[in-house]
Amino acid sequence: MIADRTAATTLLASVASFSYHGDPGPALRGVEVVASPGTLTAVLGGSGSGKSTLGRILGAWLLGGRDGTLVGSLQLEVAGHPAGSGPLRFAGAQDDPRIDPGAWARHVGYVPQDAASMLSAVRGTVEEELAFSLENRGVPRGEMVQTVADIARRTGLDGFLHRDPATLSGGELRRLAVGCAVVDGPGVLILDEPLESLDQAGIRTIVELVRSELARGTAIVVLSQHADALTRAAERWLVLKDGQETAAGPPARILQGGVLAESGVVVASPEVIIPSANRKPEVDPMPAPPPVLTLPVVEAAAGATAIGTKPALELAGVAFGFGGRSRSSPTEDSLLLEDVDLQVVPGEIVAITGPNGAGKSTLLRLLNGLHRPFRGDVRVADESIAGVPTGLVARRLGLLFQRPHDQLFERSVLREVLFGLHPIFGTAAAERAKAALAAVGLGDSGHAHPHELPASGQRLLALATVLAREPSVLALDEPTVALDAHGLERLTAAVSAAAGRGAAVVMVTHDLRFAAAHAHRLLRLEGGRLRQF
Amino acid sequence: MAARLNPLTAMTAAAAVLAITTAASSWAVSLTVAVGAVLLSAAAGIVRRVLLAAATIVVPFWLSLLVIHGLFFPEGRTVLASWGPARVTAEGLTFALEMGLRTAAFVLVLMVFSFSVRIPELVAALVARRVPPQVGYVLASTLLLAPLVAARLGTVRQAQESRGLVVGRGIGSRVAAIRLQMVPLVLGLVHDAGIRAQSLDARGFRSTGPRTSYTEVHDSAAQATFRVFAILLALTAVGWRIVESLPAGSLSAFSQFVGGPG
Repeated sequence: MIADRTAATTLLASVASFSYHGDPGPALRGVEVVASPGTLTAVLGGSGSGKSTLGRILGAWLLGGRDGTLVGSLQLEVAGHPAGSGPLRFAGAQDDPRIDPGAWARHVGYVPQDAASMLSAVRGTVEEELAFSLENRGVPRGEMVQTVADIARRTGLDGFLHRDPATLSGGELRRLAVGCAVVDGPGVLILDEPLESLDQAGIRTIVELVRSELARGTAIVVLSQHADALTRAAERWLVLKDGQETAAGPPARILQGGVLAESGVVVASPEVIIPSANRKPEVDPMPAPPPVLTLPVVEAAAGATAIGTKPALELAGVAFGFGGRSRSSPTEDSLLLEDVDLQVVPGEIVAITGPNGAGKSTLLRLLNGLHRPFRGDVRVADESIAGVPTGLVARRLGLLFQRPHDQLFERSVLREVLFGLHPIFGTAAAERAKAALAAVGLGDSGHAHPHELPASGQRLLALATVLAREPSVLALDEPTVALDAHGLERLTAAVSAAAGRGAAVVMVTHDLRFAAAHAHRLLRLEGGRLRQF
Repeated sequence: MAARLNPLTAMTAAAAVLAITTAASSWAVSLTVAVGAVLLSAAAGIVRRVLLAAATIVVPFWLSLLVIHGLFFPEGRTVLASWGPARVTAEGLTFALEMGLRTAAFVLVLMVFSFSVRIPELVAALVARRVPPQVGYVLASTLLLAPLVAARLGTVRQAQESRGLVVGRGIGSRVAAIRLQMVPLVLGLVHDAGIRAQSLDARGFRSTGPRTSYTEVHDSAAQATFRVFAILLALTAVGWRIVESLPAGSLSAFSQFVGGPG
């Protein structure tokens, strides 16, 4: 049944226009993509450029008719299947052809930007999740077991087969999502921001996987807002802005022009890594940060106490772990954080890095009391937060969550920022909310639904909810993820402004360049302790 | 132990116990079943979760029973106290107690089942018996709904607390917090479900052809015999209950219908 795995497949898409139901204008116009066997194509664009919409049309997650009005054509040419390879033409009419997403996915695998949305939610282990689409196709069990083992090896999930998918870290989850897409042996693979929020090891695994899929003859399309090592390895780039193609051709040519800067694509280091080459890839896909702004650097941040400045945030001997039921008797070997000390003075920016699953996000959740330490003390603005409800700590400490999805819950962008502002600012709350939205460039989107914003907009909205409260400590979890070049500029400006008015900033990030450019100190969390990087 | 048990065996046992409890309609049987369920959950190491989940369902129900039947029970004769139209009667309280115990037994048995069964195995066992996979998915997602809702509610609460929501110990503060959380909870779940539908489509969930199962489900002749026995026992109990409740004269006319299993 899967004898024709990775049969040479070409996907030709021509989207004259695509409009979501209820939207005034099209999200895409005049975009053409050709994905040929064994080639890597990168679709680059800033936030809201239409990349994800294009990816979901190619993967048949968005269907003309059901989800919007599609005018154009889609064509699959599968080697050995001359029949049925004619183009499917869509005129936005009732009698347009209908794609069966399940059948389409056997040839075109799509991995969404939010890897968690790939999961079925009814499978208890990684191996069962990997087998889900094979079960639905009636693949015999013996064959299924073999395929799952093979995919697990190729995605580096061997050691995770019996884990509950809900307990995987961000990087592991993305590998599982890719595994779920390639398990059907599609000839075309569409990857939306595949390197996002991965640590170096995770990036290596995904790049390695892309390499081996290309070698097998898979046609790969990567959608990204980073001109990084992975996308630079593409034969062809397609640059989108406002749903339209602004440039197309070989990367070298496009890099010379000014189109990229305008589009909001983050341009990273120039080292080019050819995935199909035999040498080990020297992956450095970190986005280059915008030019460093002059920050009001606090004199000798590390020796703050010596010069008499009281720390805005102080952690002393903090230990924490999951699994221990009683706070009074933590089990020493289950500790995620063993002995964390940290002092951040007003106006200081501290960046914390470390591998996926080291406990970085957990550390930030200890700062406002969402988690409580087993041992040690957390002090915000020179007061211990022990026994203080999170809602009260939140007056002085603002936390940006790792996933905007977890932070946003209101019906409109403006309501989202207004939540909880009235007790602090009274009648000035609405003004504060609008100012915070303007600061992140969402001034005109007040009435939109947070879920309607592109990933970058959602991240900036979450940032606005933190900024609007003007906390004396900002705790930011992966603030650069999903941001395009314009978004990074806004983030840089916001962090600089906050530090400038005397706020202490602690950010957790995998983006070493951003950290090196904007933080006064860079720390590494590993083995339950914080160390100088 | 639970791993070796076919989920259909566990399901049949739970259903049979529920049918017998209803048929018996006696507080002693209900109490025995409830205690048995608690002991079983203790043996399986899930007693805390079972009791917590059962309490959230049963306690509000008990309170409403107490108000409705404790204060207003038309058939009540032995009046213990009265305020205007409200009369506390011994019969009303007895009825409330019986109903309350039976509900507790029901909820506890269902909780022990849903917390101990491995849902993918249950779905696999159903698919193997040619139950449509969509039915299996609905069953599985229903059983998984409680943890899903709890997780989503947890994230909404954390997001709101991080922006200044203080949930006090008072009932007023909690009700206000629930009011703030309900709309985000429902909208969030609906949004997630929409995305999930696209993913399920792409992963061939709607395909109409034959399916297979990755998960292997253990079964044995002994378990199959037990299932038949449990079903027969439940049918007997229900039959006996129907005969018991019929007026004496109609018994002879009815016996021919219940003759089979009884």
